Amino acid sequence: MKKIFVILMLSVLLLGLVGVASAAELSGKITIWCWDPNFNVAIMEEAATRYNKINPNAEIEIVSMAKADVEQKLNTILASGVKKDLPEIVLIEDYNAKKYLESYPGAFADLTDHFNYSEFASYKLDFMTVNDRVYGVPFDSGVAGWFYRRDYFEEAGIDVSELGNITMDEYIELGKVFKEKTGKYMQAGDPYDGGLMRTLLQSAGTWYFDEKGEPNIVNNPALKEAVRIYKEINDSGISKETSGWNEWVAAFNGGEVASVITGVWIIGSIKAEESQSGKWGVLPIPRPDVPGSVNASNLGGSSWYVLENSENKDLAIDFLNQIYAKDVDFYQKILIDRGAVGTWLPAQKGEAYSAGDPFFGNQKIYVDFAKWIEMIPPVDYGLYTYEADAAIMGVMPDVYSGKISIEEALKQAEDQLRNVIGG
Amino acid sequence: MVAKGFEKIQDKWGWIFISFATIFLALFIFYPLVYSLYLSTFSTKGIIKNFVGLGNYKRLLQDNYFILSIKNIFVILVIQVPIMLFLALIFAFLLNDPKLKLKGVYRTALFLPAVTSLVAYSVVFKMMFSTEGLVNNILINLHIIKEPIRWLLDPFWSKVTLIIAMTWRWTGYNMMLYLAGLQNISQEVYEAAEIDGAGKTAQFFRITIPLLRPIILFTTILSTIGTLQLFDEPMMLAAGVTTGSSVGPGNSLLTPSVYIYNVSFKYVPNFGYASAISYMIVIIAVILSIIQFRVAGEER
Amino acid sequence: MNRKLTYAFIYVFLTISAFVSVFPFYWMIVGSTNKSVDVNKGKLTFGNQFLENFYKLSENFDLGQVIWNSIQVSLCVVVFSLIVSSMAGYGFEMFKSRGRDFTYATVLLTMMIPFAALMVPVFRLMTFLNLIDSLWGVILPMIPSVFLIFFFRQNFQQYPKEIIMAARVDGASEPRIFFSIIMPSMKATYAAAAIYAFLTSWNAYLQPLVIIQSQKNRTMALFIANLASGYQPDFGLVMMAVVIATLPTLILFFALQRYFVQGVLGSVKQ
Repeated sequence: MKKIFVILMLSVLLLGLVGVASAAELSGKITIWCWDPNFNVAIMEEAATRYNKINPNAEIEIVSMAKADVEQKLNTILASGVKKDLPEIVLIEDYNAKKYLESYPGAFADLTDHFNYSEFASYKLDFMTVNDRVYGVPFDSGVAGWFYRRDYFEEAGIDVSELGNITMDEYIELGKVFKEKTGKYMQAGDPYDGGLMRTLLQSAGTWYFDEKGEPNIVNNPALKEAVRIYKEINDSGISKETSGWNEWVAAFNGGEVASVITGVWIIGSIKAEESQSGKWGVLPIPRPDVPGSVNASNLGGSSWYVLENSENKDLAIDFLNQIYAKDVDFYQKILIDRGAVGTWLPAQKGEAYSAGDPFFGNQKIYVDFAKWIEMIPPVDYGLYTYEADAAIMGVMPDVYSGKISIEEALKQAEDQLRNVIGG
Repeated sequence: MVAKGFEKIQDKWGWIFISFATIFLALFIFYPLVYSLYLSTFSTKGIIKNFVGLGNYKRLLQDNYFILSIKNIFVILVIQVPIMLFLALIFAFLLNDPKLKLKGVYRTALFLPAVTSLVAYSVVFKMMFSTEGLVNNILINLHIIKEPIRWLLDPFWSKVTLIIAMTWRWTGYNMMLYLAGLQNISQEVYEAAEIDGAGKTAQFFRITIPLLRPIILFTTILSTIGTLQLFDEPMMLAAGVTTGSSVGPGNSLLTPSVYIYNVSFKYVPNFGYASAISYMIVIIAVILSIIQFRVAGEER
Repeated sequence: MNRKLTYAFIYVFLTISAFVSVFPFYWMIVGSTNKSVDVNKGKLTFGNQFLENFYKLSENFDLGQVIWNSIQVSLCVVVFSLIVSSMAGYGFEMFKSRGRDFTYATVLLTMMIPFAALMVPVFRLMTFLNLIDSLWGVILPMIPSVFLIFFFRQNFQQYPKEIIMAARVDGASEPRIFFSIIMPSMKATYAAAAIYAFLTSWNAYLQPLVIIQSQKNRTMALFIANLASGYQPDFGLVMMAVVIATLPTLILFFALQRYFVQGVLGSVKQ
């Protein structure tokens, strides 16, 4: 018995040594580009610290830039065809992923055989897959939630138990009733921001494009419905108009609005107003009234990519593998510290995910989010999401003013989009 | 013989003096320029290139966004540039008055905006012009307006905001140039005019403007070029909640430079098309400059 | 009486305009003393967060390095740009020839090209020259300033040609004439040019963005842009950084203001 135990111990030790040895073979510097000092930059720093415990021979430099700057630099560097001074790892927003992968073939490392992709949320894989090869490591989720003020809803006598499965029209009606009773707005938003549009499209399992990547605007019932909802919200007066990120955040931090429908990453900003602790809750998002839509969706989110021609590619892959595809504890820590919901599913069995959050009235919000993540319809964002977004938002002023019908607006947007893509 | 030898030496020195700058320029501007001219004959998707010859230029003429961006900057050219230059002229004229006190203070204050860094100015301006921001508060308190103006949310008002922002930033700069030009006009001219009973307005229109014509032409051309390349201001005013929407409500703030940036870096990167757009801008800039020279020339 | 009224009106007009011009500066300074939430709400009065913001900023970021990078870039650009551009302006003005006039016209034309279009080729070039992620890569392209060449040329137009002729007769070489006679006598022009070169290089954003890769080589403008982005920027810190970034330009402007006005004067004599 004792012998067996010793052998077991020894083999574990040996295995451990082998493990360390193989990791120690990899050394060098990993340069990482990402953009949010309080979010993905901080998270990467945590990951770096953890990896250095496994592999002290890796030097990790995290370069923090503005998001637009990461995109601009990446385009410049890849378009120039230069093969030196490349960062090892870059963060790319999911909407943009396919654009980079298809515009710069060969620039990103094929990670298909390095990761067990069945452990990641399935909706994160479509846009990072080209010709059945997977090129990214899924990172944070933009799973959408309907964040609401418990105290405001109570004041207006709204029973949240009936709100788990409602449509956007019911939501707008609720907003009107709420405004009548309390004088407050239901939500805040920039009428020319495409965020909600994308959320609604994905909850209906569709996008601006069809499977072949052709624009799918005029004959897209979900899109038509989404534009109608935008106009409805605008006309109903339930939304406080804001311009830009800061005003929007200030609207719910300042207690001017009762709810926010957006990605889970907003939690950090909501919690910034500490005085509102305990007053918030989360519901499933309302869905657009089209066949096949679900009360779950996604907005934003991003993933890590490794550059094929970077100096320490293998080291970088090992780093991502050790932390982002193995370290359950890491995911608990970034959830607690930064409110980052990962898309590596085994992490969601961890304790941070099952704990109630006092800020949200002890609701086990991450249990809910984990449930919704699995419901998100996978969508291939294609190459031209921002072109499409701009085309649709470009016609919205005329839709709001009633100058053109929704059909006409969609037609104009599709023409414009084809024009931009063509050539 | 002597003179000819001297000329040769002179010629040599002439080239030597300009050589450093021209070499630098050749390296850092002409090379990229030639390269982007070459690129403009391709339609590109990242590193995938398709030769299209003049196809990009043909496409430009039918591109609604490009046409809209040109329309947008022409509104700026026709409204903002004259307002700004006229204001700058007035400031310069007033500050040129020897009887005026505190000249240095006013001059410095008015010039300050040109010194600010763009980021600073963008953050401040977005806040001031938000619907519940300072500007609306002041206007409402002064009973100038009843309802808050949707500065950044309305296609018309967003352009007004852009015009205000640009005027704020660049008026003092132009004023400095005019002030400089005014030093050449002798004060006696004004004194004589005053004795003849000409008021300030008459002095301004009959003396200042005609005598400053060359420098007005110069600033007009500089402002025209600046407007054609307008990038910073619309970029910062148009930033939305999440990225990727239109440039201002209904693309009211889309300018050619912003479009170039989007085509290169935000959309599927088509550097060939972006290069074609920039060459179009250069052509327009040259044509406008020639027209401005002609107009100024004829009046003389 | 009428005249007094006119002046009263002028003073009011100028004071309001000056106030509008200076106001955003006031707000910027106020912002640096407030919490992020208050800045976002548009609070107009001084707060007590000044030291706190400064502490947070210098604690979390290597502010000294960032400022030092910017100073290095700006000083080099000012020194080299002034020498190179003034020499070119002098060459174009004093040694006129058809070839050089044509060159001059071509040089002026380059002012009309939007920089966004040049970014990819510039990057290729910089890689070729091995200047990626180095401050020299930022400095070198900013040295030949078309505006400054133009500006210097205008200023040299006024320079009395007789002095140059006299020096030549005395046997002074051309470089000597330029460096020890002309340069020292045009302090105002150089001061004005220095302010211009400093301002453009200090505030330059797109150009360093293309070149600089690593955190340690960031300039002030890049730093602020990053600080102001992200899901939850701290506006107190942003304002503090902006104040710090603006200070050197203000100091320089006030220090050289007198020359600046005189220098600009020279450039537009008809």
